[in-house]
Amino acid sequence: MNKLYPWILLLIRFLLGVIFIYASLDKIIDPGEFARAIGNYHIIPFGLENLIALVIPWLELFIGIGLISGIMVDGASAISGGLMAIFILLILQATLRGFNIECGCGLKEGEMVGWSKILENIIFLGASFLVWSRSKKLFEIFPKSSL
Amino acid sequence: MDTKKQIIIYLGFSIFCGIASNGIESSPIPWINQPIELVSNKEDLISLFVDPQIREIDLEMAKSLHKTGLLFVDARAEEYLTNGIIPGAIGNNDVGLLSEKIEFLIGFDKGFVVYCSDDDCGSSEELAYELQEIGFMNILVFKGGWKSWTEAGFEIETHE
Repeated sequence: MNKLYPWILLLIRFLLGVIFIYASLDKIIDPGEFARAIGNYHIIPFGLENLIALVIPWLELFIGIGLISGIMVDGASAISGGLMAIFILLILQATLRGFNIECGCGLKEGEMVGWSKILENIIFLGASFLVWSRSKKLFEIFPKSSL
Repeated sequence: MDTKKQIIIYLGFSIFCGIASNGIESSPIPWINQPIELVSNKEDLISLFVDPQIREIDLEMAKSLHKTGLLFVDARAEEYLTNGIIPGAIGNNDVGLLSEKIEFLIGFDKGFVVYCSDDDCGSSEELAYELQEIGFMNILVFKGGWKSWTEAGFEIETHE
């Protein structure tokens, strides 16, 4: 099991990367729609949802590429965990306030906020933490790992 | 390289790409979202909903509105329509029948475009005013009409 563990973590890293890249694409193509989805949470002040909608999808794309290709994996997994924590809090407050809104997560059209979405993001948060806290580095090109 | 530096690099690239990609977009979103304006003057509010509008548009605007699926109405006499129309456009010599068709398709409140043969034809404006009198609220007159559309090489629809 101990020998397999780093390879399982590598698989998790790849999957996380694929999920982030996939989730980013629609948002990059249509940041306006993503901004409206963020606005529906009614928590972002000063009209900042537009700026957030412009930056977050690219961040997701870059960390997705970083996780898959092994570029700055520590930073990518830390950002991944941070994003997941923020998403969990956003969806949690919307769920508790009884909002029946689309989550704007970018994975599936028409996904609504709710406990299942929170659970899904907790799993991704856990995955990000496992990748970030890995002891053995595999297939990382910058900073370069031994294998 | 420590994690903090890596995070800063990722953030820097993302901010740059997010802002740059929005800058080269044909319809960029503002960096800061503007809230929907509060109407405090009752007169403004009434005119917003009550006053019918006729506006003029150019070829470029006509093309982009056509792409969105907006209804086009051909004001030329029916005998000209066999040579071709802007795709999806409707036309009829009888304004009564034409207005019934427009009402059936989009109702009175939704906007539509009226055009005729060229810059000087005038029949699109006449039809626009007639349709406005019937009760249509938002009419756009496509200046340049059929001539500028075909000269630009845009798609047309022909019926035998």
